[in-house]
Amino acid sequence: MLGRTLQEVSAALKQGQITPTELCQKCLSLIKKTKFLNAYITVSEEVALKQAEESEKRYKNGQSLGDLDGIPVAVKDNFSTSGIETTCASNMLKGYIPPYNATVVQKLLDQGALLMGKTNLDEFAMGSGSTDGIFGPVKNPWSYSKQYREKRKQNPHSKNEDSDWLITGGSSGGSAAAVSAFTCYAALGSDTGGSTRNPAAHCGLVGFKPSYGLVSRHGLIPLVNSMDVPGILTRCVDDAAIVLGALAGPDPKDSTTVHDPINKPFMLPSLADVSKLCIGIPKEYLIPELSSEVRSLWSKAADLFESEGAKVLEVSLPHTSYSIVCYHVLCTSEVASNMARFDGLQYGHRCDINVSTEAMYAATRREGFNDVVRGRILSGNFFLLKENYENYFVKAQKVRRLIANDFVNAFNSGVDVLLTPTTLSEAVPYLEFIKEDNRTRSAQDDIFTQAVNMAGLPAVSIPVALSNQGLPIGLQFIGRAFCDQQLLTVAKWFEKQVQFPVIQLQELMDDCSAVLENEKSASVSLKQ
Amino acid sequence: VGLLEVVLEPDLSCGEEAATAVRELQLILQALGTSQANMAEGQLRVDANISVHHPGEPLGVRTEVKNLNSIRFLAKAIDYEIQRQINELENGGEILNETRSFHYQLGCTMSMRDKEGKQDYRFMPEPNLPPLVLYDATSLPAGADPQQVINIDQIRETLPELPSVTRERLVQQYGMLLEHSFTLLNEVGLLEFFQNVIKETRAEPKKVTSWVLNTFLGYLKQQNLAVSESPVTPSALAELLDLLDSRTISSAAAKQVFEELWKREGKTPGQIVSEKQLELMEDRGALEQLCHSMMEAHPQVVMDLKKGNPRAINKLIGLVRKATQSRADPAMIKEILEKKLSS
Repeated sequence: MLGRTLQEVSAALKQGQITPTELCQKCLSLIKKTKFLNAYITVSEEVALKQAEESEKRYKNGQSLGDLDGIPVAVKDNFSTSGIETTCASNMLKGYIPPYNATVVQKLLDQGALLMGKTNLDEFAMGSGSTDGIFGPVKNPWSYSKQYREKRKQNPHSKNEDSDWLITGGSSGGSAAAVSAFTCYAALGSDTGGSTRNPAAHCGLVGFKPSYGLVSRHGLIPLVNSMDVPGILTRCVDDAAIVLGALAGPDPKDSTTVHDPINKPFMLPSLADVSKLCIGIPKEYLIPELSSEVRSLWSKAADLFESEGAKVLEVSLPHTSYSIVCYHVLCTSEVASNMARFDGLQYGHRCDINVSTEAMYAATRREGFNDVVRGRILSGNFFLLKENYENYFVKAQKVRRLIANDFVNAFNSGVDVLLTPTTLSEAVPYLEFIKEDNRTRSAQDDIFTQAVNMAGLPAVSIPVALSNQGLPIGLQFIGRAFCDQQLLTVAKWFEKQVQFPVIQLQELMDDCSAVLENEKSASVSLKQ
Repeated sequence: VGLLEVVLEPDLSCGEEAATAVRELQLILQALGTSQANMAEGQLRVDANISVHHPGEPLGVRTEVKNLNSIRFLAKAIDYEIQRQINELENGGEILNETRSFHYQLGCTMSMRDKEGKQDYRFMPEPNLPPLVLYDATSLPAGADPQQVINIDQIRETLPELPSVTRERLVQQYGMLLEHSFTLLNEVGLLEFFQNVIKETRAEPKKVTSWVLNTFLGYLKQQNLAVSESPVTPSALAELLDLLDSRTISSAAAKQVFEELWKREGKTPGQIVSEKQLELMEDRGALEQLCHSMMEAHPQVVMDLKKGNPRAINKLIGLVRKATQSRADPAMIKEILEKKLSS
């Protein structure tokens, strides 16, 4: 049951094959079993069981709220949840309990979804590995999959299995791990530079980033206001569409939401053929750092579309090479502004120093934020100084416009959807990942994903195939603004073609105790 | 809470003008419900930029004056600074483009040179606020959802009455002078008080205006009270004016009643009039009788009168009044006396 899709489980609930409470308990039990993955920061067991009870009543009375009623979901810990601790994996908000629900959370609850818990992330969503939060890194469930383990056994140099565990990618790694390990059917992530799509690709999931303005950001603790969107992680495209249907729509509390979205998503049609479709391949995305396996899959995917009758064109996004730097300037500038609200006065952490207001701010923020956050704040402050504003911030905004125009031009040339890699390679081991710092990793790993955030376009990562190591590789589709439905329709067709394998975690359940042993010896202490 | 910044053109020429402009702005903001605009509580802050120049020449170097927490100090600071700049320039000095702070105890502005350099606020445009587009009835796009667009013509129709319109209306409706309308609006709560009295009394509006602006306001100012702290309610004043209007009491008696009301002893005007027996004497016959006897009792005064001393009549009136314990209308006494004298 836990391995089914959301649609399938929803049907099962409606038919009475399983009750919401049974489903909830199964998921809670699996969460406990997979605790070593460190996917969850808070497990809201009581809340979920209560919600399950209410859902059950509704099903008994034939009054289910819809496809999400009784469905276990998880939410990234940078979404405010009323009465449930929301930390952003930071000391700054440790113990903080919001008095309200984020709009997207409320919408899920209004549909009867069961909130299993809050998932782990990089502190304040800054990072591409889900390794830099105060609760420790998240482990990729594929580290324990049969597919990966078997390949490892073939490798004569394979060491102690658990010290080589793989990262999930980030920053929504907890949400990805939660869905990938079957502890829930859908999870909310956030996506500012690829934070939903990146872990989706590394964990073999569908990671959907909606058009900016389609889904409300109210209650999503902001990283970059002009680029953040709530993201959706599921095991298949239809499931993502169901969740999107519940979440999309204008919100008076978020004045950047759009009031007449062109395509309100609902049930996705099944594309019979793709002969009327035009796929664009951006040539600037073919870079030397791209692993040969990913490049090969990308090429195969393009061939697949062509062989099925679609038009496949090479397109150019000429300003691609400037996008990382541009993103860096704009992101850190907004971060410098957004993080100013954390001053210890009204909520969150406050230091013990009370010599003066300034001293209190300084100590609170030094204690509350990790190096990554503080580094970005300092950078942002630099770019926003009067003497730098024109040359950095304003310049970056102009370059952003050029990058966005690149996409507009590509779509105007007849292209419906762009096809690109999501990540440079499959997931890497944690010990490998931490050899470079957060900033370097983010700059490397965001390369295919962040331009999309700057242009506000919808994009989705679809798992395609396993690498030689037995690990998932995903590819990204990018659509026109507010053509989310069309994008998902194409993605659904592609998903059906590639038939990505289900993760085999049986061993994980059996080896549970063994893994826990290993985990203790492999734990790495984090710098503060 | 949003912050609204209003910048006025540099065409004000003295402290009083600036103070008046700011006062009017306060009234407009209050009428709109935008803000209470109370300067003492920091709801409204005013910084003044001041420069001087010879007529015909371009504007001089300006200084910015801050730390102004009342309209009175705003006017004072501006006038001081104008004079300071003139003195400085006439003595061959120059004006620095600087920020100065107003020190209200000393009544002067002083340079804020202790601030190390200018603050770099590191502002960036707020991404959560999309661009604000204003339309009017002619430029409104077809089929636009009225909830989603800002049509200033539509908003204009929903505006409450603004102060200048209110003042015009008061002049038209109640026949008062324009300066009266200014006073009514400038004092917090006074207009409402006035309108409540008007509602409840039969007396002429001009009478009400006079009583509210002279007597009532006079008492308030003397004891430094706000309208809200007044011991006299609009109903009480209305009742009093009715008594006056119906000639139940004289205007002198009315003033007396008002003073009693101010003592806050909980008595109505009617009660006070009864207790102190201030009713106007109705009986003309009795009054004539009294005048006659008073004239007989004071032949010297009558002699003075006949000799042509105009002040003598006042003495007689006074004597008669005293005899009636101020219950007779002085105008009537005078009329009767003059009649008797001429006969």
